[in-house]
Amino acid sequence: MNRPGTFKISGIALALAAAFGPARAVEPIVTQNIDPAAPASMNTGASSASVGIGYAGDDARRFGQYNGINEDGYYGLLDFNWVKRNDETGTWTRIFGRDVGLEDRQLRFEQQRQGNWGYSIDYSRVPRFEPLIANTAVVGIGSNNLVIPTTLTPGSPIELGTKRTILGLGVDKYFAGNWDVQVKFRNEEKDGTRIFARGTTGTGPVSSFGQFEFGPEPIDATTRQLEAKVNYNGGALLLTGGYYGTMYNNKFDSGLNFTGGLAGLSTFTPIALPPDNQSHQIYVSGNYAFTPTTRSTFKLAWGKITQDAAFVTGPNVPRAPGTGDNLGGKIDTKLAQFGVTARPMPKLSLFADFRIEDRDDKTPVLVYFTPPPSTSNGENEPRSIKTTTGKAEANYSLPEGFRIIGGVGWEEKKRNISEVRVVSAREVTDERAYRVELRRPMSETLTGSVSLVHSDRDGSPFLTTVQNSGAVGSNLIAPVFLADRKRDKVRVNANWAPISPLNIQFFAESARDDYSGRDGSALGPRKGEAQNYSLDAAYVFNDRWQANAWYSRNDTQFDQATCEAASSAGVCPGSAADPTWSAKLRNLSNNIGAGLRAKPTGQIDLGADVTYSEIRDQFDMGTIQGGAVTSLPDVKTKLTRLNLFARYALQKNAGVRLDYIYDRFSSDDWTWPTWTFADGTQLVENRPQQINFIGVSYYYKFQ
Amino acid sequence: MLGGKGFFCIALLLLSAGALAQSADDIRDGKICATCHADAVQIWGGKHGTKADSRTPIAIVGCATCHGDPSAHLKSFSNPMPNRFSKMSATEKNDVCQSCHQGRERMHWSGSTHERNDVSCSSCHKLHTAHDRVRDKLTQPEVCFACHKVQRAEVNRPSRHPIREGLVACSDCHNPHGSVGRAMVLRDSVNDTCYSCHMEKRGPFVRTHQPVQEDCAICHNPHGTTAPNLLRHRQPFLCQQCHEPTSHRGNVASLTGTSTGANTLARGCLNCHTNIHGTNNPANISNERTFRR
Repeated sequence: MNRPGTFKISGIALALAAAFGPARAVEPIVTQNIDPAAPASMNTGASSASVGIGYAGDDARRFGQYNGINEDGYYGLLDFNWVKRNDETGTWTRIFGRDVGLEDRQLRFEQQRQGNWGYSIDYSRVPRFEPLIANTAVVGIGSNNLVIPTTLTPGSPIELGTKRTILGLGVDKYFAGNWDVQVKFRNEEKDGTRIFARGTTGTGPVSSFGQFEFGPEPIDATTRQLEAKVNYNGGALLLTGGYYGTMYNNKFDSGLNFTGGLAGLSTFTPIALPPDNQSHQIYVSGNYAFTPTTRSTFKLAWGKITQDAAFVTGPNVPRAPGTGDNLGGKIDTKLAQFGVTARPMPKLSLFADFRIEDRDDKTPVLVYFTPPPSTSNGENEPRSIKTTTGKAEANYSLPEGFRIIGGVGWEEKKRNISEVRVVSAREVTDERAYRVELRRPMSETLTGSVSLVHSDRDGSPFLTTVQNSGAVGSNLIAPVFLADRKRDKVRVNANWAPISPLNIQFFAESARDDYSGRDGSALGPRKGEAQNYSLDAAYVFNDRWQANAWYSRNDTQFDQATCEAASSAGVCPGSAADPTWSAKLRNLSNNIGAGLRAKPTGQIDLGADVTYSEIRDQFDMGTIQGGAVTSLPDVKTKLTRLNLFARYALQKNAGVRLDYIYDRFSSDDWTWPTWTFADGTQLVENRPQQINFIGVSYYYKFQ
Repeated sequence: MLGGKGFFCIALLLLSAGALAQSADDIRDGKICATCHADAVQIWGGKHGTKADSRTPIAIVGCATCHGDPSAHLKSFSNPMPNRFSKMSATEKNDVCQSCHQGRERMHWSGSTHERNDVSCSSCHKLHTAHDRVRDKLTQPEVCFACHKVQRAEVNRPSRHPIREGLVACSDCHNPHGSVGRAMVLRDSVNDTCYSCHMEKRGPFVRTHQPVQEDCAICHNPHGTTAPNLLRHRQPFLCQQCHEPTSHRGNVASLTGTSTGANTLARGCLNCHTNIHGTNNPANISNERTFRR
């Protein structure tokens, strides 16, 4: 059979290195060279180690947000990946470490007798250093008992952040008869603090900004996941049956207590923190081949989520008669999926899939507060959602390597609705999607596709919002995830190799959403748009020199409207003081990147990568009726990253490596700079931030 | 067409006394193949080259296990190998891999978005190198971004997951081999996938927030944003996409003003509604039902 060339989607997977590697540049182009700084494969040829030292010449909290290289100073660089295979028994042993000298260290030990048994132990840390520094006089940060200054008080700098410490265990065992068992357990301890606050509007010490007090949330929680499954491979029939359980335990679920602070916030303590909760699921999934060209897949799952953590207590937490000391939360989940793919004739492929997911919230409904306010009947509000989806697609081969694809999709969501509502609601949303695509997946020089998608979402009538008194509330806005919506999308993808060493990839996508509001109302979501383009090029000069470059432009827009001070019955004043207004939100980014890999001599490897992103958030606010509306200023963000590396081989399996990274972040984001909490706390960030990082390391490849 | 390297290989083989009479072991071990395809035999350093595992290519018939009977190719290099992957369709290539790799995490490959879009195993996996980049959390995103260009730009936004540090990889949230969830998410739904790391948002709570329970992606773009906390839009705009404009909810976004500034600056609407994902506080003495305490 004479087959044409293949769909070349990976041709430009080469060159994204500049975006990656906190303390190193990865080496994506010369793939036959083992990268001593990125050792991860279970391959006897991948054993290596590198040790060195890095120096950061500047403070840069954005750069070090997840690796801890956020202050000037020296940092240890240590990576290793030792892989050994016993050829007689097929037993692998691997010891792996990455960024061992940094805050985001990852360690792994694993051993397996291939095709028989295996186990692994992982230890890793995922830090998050809050980029903002809190200048605060709040006392007790990190605990759940905070003391808030009663007046504007100058503070001292406090670093916030969280750290996840993860321990993972895994066991595999194969049995005769094509059975095997997989067990995975993951324990994660998360501790630290994150930005949190309490407050209300009104007049506070900072006249412009009401009564808001800084109250960092203390975090000390354990998350556990256990999954155990049995797999069967019977050739035509593949099966997996398993259990997946999760558990969240918050050591601070007694709440966050405040003392001091403004008198007007005296009832704002304690603040409830996330409650302990658990989930259990059993499932069976499978794949059955009716014929070599007709396969089916399925999954059935049953689950339960429970939450019975004790409520916060205290004089500010009165409990209504008849309510217990916990919610008794219980959600039952069911999932059923069935899909089939078939090739009834060589040129025709068919696909169909049907799925139902039922989340049945069985949490007891009780009246938690009496008397209820106007916008609530005092009951808790369980959320049950049933989602049904169906998809079908036909794919037919045409001459010249083309294919035509047509598909339809459907999704229906049914949800329960509370009796008293302040937000527009509908019980059912129903979306239908249609797709047609022309694709050329195989060619010597040009592959690609053009697709058109149209979808239409509507649903059951919106229910009239109603207050507890029975009075009709405001009915002006169809929520973005419930509103009637027509969506059109065009996508073009092309991969062109005009000459052997050159590969060009082009991607374009244009999408438009048209929303319909509540009857008689022009408020709420109106339109959404997205235009995404990218152009990538890679050129192989020869075996020793390769380069690439790319450009990407992403533009999303969202048009919405609302009004100030609508009456409880939903009448907009549209007055000078309370206008009806719109915003055309836009996020526009231009991104470029380029990379070079070279091996000028047998001993030297060189690499360079640069990326630059310029992002603009625009708000384009305007008056529809009433007084003038001043738009928010744009937010401009610029990100630059340069990675350079040079590697010099002292001998065949060892050498030295030099890394240089320049990273710059600048932004005029107005979110925090002018804000002062009522206790005097301010959150500050140095702008722009830039860092020069130099690393020197010695690497050794095990033979 | 053979270039200089090809002629060199032919000459080498012809000059070799055993070139036309190789043993089965030589073929299985790839020694013959290595004469010309030196880099390719790095595959034997990995799982496929474990002789003690009877399922592996090297334990079966070596390179021929995947590439087909080499007889004709060895007689004349102008005869291609039967399975010439660079010339095969995605389905044909995948059939070769799936003759061994079925089930488990690949259970829902049939009918998956990748399968239906002509993605082949070798589009993402590199078998003949010591380092399969897609199986390394640090380098995996590069492979995914070969197609997913929008996400390539988004992961570098100021609010992001630690993807470029290699602490979170695409496969931590997605199963590229297929799943029953939307966008091939790892668990059965978007929310279930998010909860695997953000379980504190799951509840159920006394006071629940409808979109939180319905789909995290209504408010968040997990790939990266310029708005804080991976939010699709800043506040109050995001909240105003659902909420009726009664009371203060339709207030103009502003950098000043007691109530308007409080909608926009700092934590935005969350300055008051601090427990926006839901609260388990049963009281309502300070409007806690609106996630204020």
